[in-house]
Amino acid sequence: MLEAKDLTKRYEDGLLALDHVNFEVREGEIYCMLGANGAGKTTTINLFFNFIDPTEGQALVNGIDASKDPLEAKGNIAFVSENVMLYHNFTARQNIDYFAKLGGKTDLQKDDYYAVMRKVGLQDKAFEAKLKTFSKGMRQKLGIAIAIIKDAPNIILDEPTSGLDPKAAAEFMDILTELKKQGKAILMSTHDIFRAKTIADRVAIMKEGRIVMERTREEFLKDDLEKIYLNYMQGIAA
Amino acid sequence: MLRTIINKEILENITSPKFVFTFLLCTILILLAVYAGVGNYRSELKEYHSALALNEKNLESQTSWGLIAGMGMKITKPPQVLGCMISGIQDAVGRNATVNIAFDPSLVDSRYDSNPVFAIFGPLDLALIVKIVLSLFAILFTYDAIVGEKERGTLKLSLANRVPRDQVILGKAIGSFVSLLVPLVIPFLIGLIMLNLFPDVHLSGDDWARIGLIFLFFLLYLFVFFTLGLFVSARTNRSSSSLFILLFVWVVFIFVVPKGAVVLSKYMRPVPSVHEINSEKDAYLQQIQNEAIEGRRTFFQENPQEDTPEWRQKAQEWGAAFQQELTAKIDAKNAELEEAYQAKRRAQQLLALNLSRISPSSALTFGTQSLSKTGIQEHERFLNAIKSYKPIFTKFINGKLTENIGTGGQPPKPDLDELPRMDFKPMSLNDSFMLALPDLVVMALMIIVLFAGTFVSFLRYDIR
Ligand SMILES: Nc1ncnc2c1ncn2[C@@H]1O[C@H](COP(=O)(O)OP(=O)(O)OP(=O)(O)O)[C@@H](O)[C@H]1O
Ligand SMILES: [Mg+2]
Repeated sequence: MLEAKDLTKRYEDGLLALDHVNFEVREGEIYCMLGANGAGKTTTINLFFNFIDPTEGQALVNGIDASKDPLEAKGNIAFVSENVMLYHNFTARQNIDYFAKLGGKTDLQKDDYYAVMRKVGLQDKAFEAKLKTFSKGMRQKLGIAIAIIKDAPNIILDEPTSGLDPKAAAEFMDILTELKKQGKAILMSTHDIFRAKTIADRVAIMKEGRIVMERTREEFLKDDLEKIYLNYMQGIAA
Repeated sequence: MLRTIINKEILENITSPKFVFTFLLCTILILLAVYAGVGNYRSELKEYHSALALNEKNLESQTSWGLIAGMGMKITKPPQVLGCMISGIQDAVGRNATVNIAFDPSLVDSRYDSNPVFAIFGPLDLALIVKIVLSLFAILFTYDAIVGEKERGTLKLSLANRVPRDQVILGKAIGSFVSLLVPLVIPFLIGLIMLNLFPDVHLSGDDWARIGLIFLFFLLYLFVFFTLGLFVSARTNRSSSSLFILLFVWVVFIFVVPKGAVVLSKYMRPVPSVHEINSEKDAYLQQIQNEAIEGRRTFFQENPQEDTPEWRQKAQEWGAAFQQELTAKIDAKNAELEEAYQAKRRAQQLLALNLSRISPSSALTFGTQSLSKTGIQEHERFLNAIKSYKPIFTKFINGKLTENIGTGGQPPKPDLDELPRMDFKPMSLNDSFMLALPDLVVMALMIIVLFAGTFVSFLRYDIR
């Protein structure tokens, strides 16, 4: 379970990037955060990993305050970051092996890695290829595989579909749904309203550091989510 | 966890193209340097032995001590076997000296004098390769060690796990240092084996100990640049700026500081020029001449001239004594001036050396030269040995010459076994080590400070 309690971040230059944000992502739930560039999505995510310290409030991971016990908190979240480049002199398997070990999975075999990579849609011939030969989408898939293999109760994804082709994106949605069924709490920031609509259990719209709208699946399916979003962006509450 | 990070770091380094390139280049350069050094040493050794033989033959062919006194003793400085690796100042300073009863001996006839072509490029010795090329590699290995991982997003992804930052930085440091060692250690070992295969190169246990210490210096030197690279890499947000800063510091350390120290020491501890010394000497001479005139006048006032043998006797005695007194004064003054000049020159030299020690490249130069006995100290020790041999030689020859006075007839053929020879003991390992110790300490301190700086910087590094 992921919880933001009055989460506030003011950067050193004085910019208020997050202003008392509150939300929670429960087990077996996909929570999508929408918002324009600079709305504060990545800032929120960074606070859950304690990459930055909050100015006020708490980011809780299974009840653990990320700024008080960052290691414990991080042990409970898997992370897919926006366009990670990974180690380009390593093969896909070497990359996933390293991050799996960092994630605490020390007893995995080659076949376990292959299985996960296959699952995210990487072709067999890519498994032992060096990362520098990978396309952006292939890297993104490997990033997702790295998150899956960690097998943490919570997953946070920052624009995970940005480099994927439509087929891969669709497959990715299936993977997320499966993870959700396994009982993971999933927090995803995205610009892709269409995808959000298909899989999200709840959707939030963030604007200038505040959550300006939050709706459950039933609620947003009744209306046109895209229209709501654009209205919010123009400052008109729906 | 630490193990995982170290392994990954080593793997990442040795699979990178820059590693392969570095390894090949280091191997070629190190072997080339050792090969050239050995070639150099062998020809030096040959020249040395033929100079000794020639001198011996010349001595034997002399029929009297008088002739040997005229010819003088020819002294040739033996080449240092560790000059194969650290050529030091050997090529630039004189190798031969003649000790005779007349002049102060000095070493002349350097390798550069006899063959200026060598001076064009200077020595390509192991010290130079380590100093310039390997330090550059250390920088190229580390400039993006941290900032590069940030740029690629892998730092963020790594630290999204239950991994303490201190382990990450320790693992990175250990792993990349180990992988940097490979291109140094392997060619160095091959070079040592090669060195051993040459028939004229004899390495004693003492030499091996010195080689070990020299290698320690190489390691420390590379570790300085290595930690410097890590440090800058943990304080920058772009790898391009990290590289730029590091190259700048590299140039400052290797070229600017050593030259700058010499220039700066000239301003801070000026040494009078030869002209200034001479004019001081002239001024004193003038003063003495005035004293002489004054003294003579006083003498004549107190002892009015008489045309008696007693007076003449007295005047003569007084004149001789007075003359001697004045000469002694002049000599004393000249010696004093000379001593002051030398003291100032030494102070300036010392200041230059100490100032330049803030650069690890100077520390490496001094330390390895001390250990290989190819530096300034060993040269001066040799020169001093020659200088202290001179009175021994002079006394012996003068004794032999006076023995013959009055015997008349043909002087006997000299027995060369009687001739005292110059006794020079190379600096002991212990002394060399003590001499090199400050440089060792300087580098160790730099490493500690830089590593502590890296550590603290990384704990607070903005990894986003
Ligand atoms: N280190 C920083 N210092 C100062 N301001 C920052 C810093 N990082 C981010 N910001 C600012 O905080 C605000 C929120 O940024 P954030 O990266 O969280 O947005 P985002 O919602 O992830 O945007 P995008 O969709 O473009 O990824 C922006 O105005 C950004 O300029
Ligand atoms: Mg973002």
